Amino acid sequence: MQDLLYFVQQLINGLTIGSAYALIAIGYTMVYGIIGMINFAHGEVYMIGAYTALIAITGLAAFGIAWLPLVLLVALVCAVIVSSAMGWAVERVAYRPVRGRHRLIPLISAIGMSIFLQNYVHLAQGSRNMGFPLLIEGGFRFGAADSFQTSISYMQITIFITTLVCMTALSLFISRSRTGRACRAVSQDLGMSNLLGIDTNKIIAATFVIGAALAAVAGLLLGMYYGSIDPLFGFIAGLKAFTAAVLGGIGSIPGAMLGGIILGISESMTSGYLSGEYKDVVSFGLLILILLFKPTGLLGKPEVEKI
Amino acid sequence: MKTSVKKLVTGISASIALMGTGSALAEIKVGIAGPMTGPVAQYGDMQFSGARMAIERINADGGVMGEQLVAVEVDDVCDPKQAVTVANRLVNDGVRFVIGHLCSSSTQPASDIYEDEGILMVTPASTSPDITERGYELVFRTIGLDSMQGPVAANYLVSLNPERVAVIHDKQQYGEGIATAVRDTLKEAGVEVAMFEGITAGDKDFSSLVTKLRDAGVDYVYYGGYHPELGLILRQARQANLDATFMGPEGVGNKDINTIAGEAAEGLLVTLPPSFDEKAENQALVSAFKEKGEDPSGPFVLTSYAAVQLVAEGIEAAGSIDPFDVAKALRAGTFSTPIGTVEYDDKGDMESFEFVVYEWHSDGSKTPVN
Repeated sequence: MQDLLYFVQQLINGLTIGSAYALIAIGYTMVYGIIGMINFAHGEVYMIGAYTALIAITGLAAFGIAWLPLVLLVALVCAVIVSSAMGWAVERVAYRPVRGRHRLIPLISAIGMSIFLQNYVHLAQGSRNMGFPLLIEGGFRFGAADSFQTSISYMQITIFITTLVCMTALSLFISRSRTGRACRAVSQDLGMSNLLGIDTNKIIAATFVIGAALAAVAGLLLGMYYGSIDPLFGFIAGLKAFTAAVLGGIGSIPGAMLGGIILGISESMTSGYLSGEYKDVVSFGLLILILLFKPTGLLGKPEVEKI
Repeated sequence: MKTSVKKLVTGISASIALMGTGSALAEIKVGIAGPMTGPVAQYGDMQFSGARMAIERINADGGVMGEQLVAVEVDDVCDPKQAVTVANRLVNDGVRFVIGHLCSSSTQPASDIYEDEGILMVTPASTSPDITERGYELVFRTIGLDSMQGPVAANYLVSLNPERVAVIHDKQQYGEGIATAVRDTLKEAGVEVAMFEGITAGDKDFSSLVTKLRDAGVDYVYYGGYHPELGLILRQARQANLDATFMGPEGVGNKDINTIAGEAAEGLLVTLPPSFDEKAENQALVSAFKEKGEDPSGPFVLTSYAAVQLVAEGIEAAGSIDPFDVAKALRAGTFSTPIGTVEYDDKGDMESFEFVVYEWHSDGSKTPVN
């Protein structure tokens, strides 16, 4: 019984982190799906989302506003607006001018953008860790009081629900809305969509903005869940989310969700049953294995070379 | 044509070399190497403020052998790769004495360069025993060793009659070194060490680790590493209702742990060098810091001050600015510094250095417990 409770606890830990990875991974996978490029500045957009949320929360606290739903809403809205603007700016500055050139060029400009944003936050906010105030406390517990108890904190529940809502909204948007249909068209054939009168520039910018908005949500959630943020924390999270996107099949939205969850669970199970030291070894080992046997990722479609 | 180019090059390099000696006669350059930026920059602040103050006061007193000390400050971000780069920069700048580095993992590779280039190094903060284990002639420190600090922590834990203890570290030279010393001392005393495990520095999610600690039913957790990770572990442990007391080395003992962990930092046990700033004989120095608006209470402020002072007194005692002569003088002499009387053994370690166990509070203050 105790073993089962322990397993469930590690599963919950993994799902929490995994769903946040999935939120960030969407940004990588959508951009890749549409223009076939990796947005290396995406981790920084996520980090800036977390900083904006923290600044908003601190600002509200300074005005004595402590009503939780309002605080969270304001933080979320601020983070989404600033990050979306940042995602849009990254596309305008680092991608659009060099689109259509050799593949390496936008890659390098994105890495440059990432270094710039990281250092900008270093300068503007300082390099020290900043603590998030504890806003959502408490949770449910299961199991006998004298032995191991499985607990789900309200924070973890918040992360699940928010991720679920975001993912459903995104799926509906992509499958039902006009812009969503245009997105799918552009991802299938950019040149043809252009000929058919779709404003591809707008669609590409929209992709960056959607990815950035979801990353900002993840930034707020994970900042609150972990408890502290620093200017470098987008880098590691970006790497993990990128792994998740590749694992699930880059370019595929359900793939990014699945990849994130698998990565999160494999991380928590490794630290839970093996040792935290091997967490990254197992995650990246898993990635290599999947790519060896299924080079397009779990849900990725094999690419047909257009001649 | 070829010979004239050669002559020109020789001429230029000779004049550069002359310029170099020219300036070296007027002043003695002291390199200060530590993290100005990065996650542990606050320790660097302590180091720079202590060393600057020492240089200022020594210069005001007429300098060393009639020459002024000049600080050359470099930032190693507590990153081993960066440490090598800045060490080479100090070599090129003609620095012969270095106060630093701070993190053991930076001090170790940098000290190789200093030893090769004949530069004397005094680290005010690196506690890893390996640094002085290599028989280097020019490496000194003004702080104790993990092999001294670990047993102090472990013996205190033993005195609390723990049932089960977990020892966690960040896999870095400093953290793992001290955690190993703690584990070994605990085992010798017959205490059950239920877990000995590493985490990855820079990680943010410790929910799996906390679950594991809860499952192991430990009542004490020792963490070898720095505050950014321990702060998060404390906070996540509190949220998951882990009922255990945490303990850490001086690397976790600074006020930034409170901004991360908040209330969860209350009751944390920390081994620190004694509060040198509370000693009666240091009060004049403490007020000098306060006049400048600086805080002398950090663990590395006065050790850095003492490091500069030792370099200066070593030069005076040797009557030479040759680092090898100064090293000999330091090993031979007995020096009175703000961190107490300093005597060195052959390895460059202090003969004795005291560590005290403090209880940390959520407002950033601390009270000694033993």
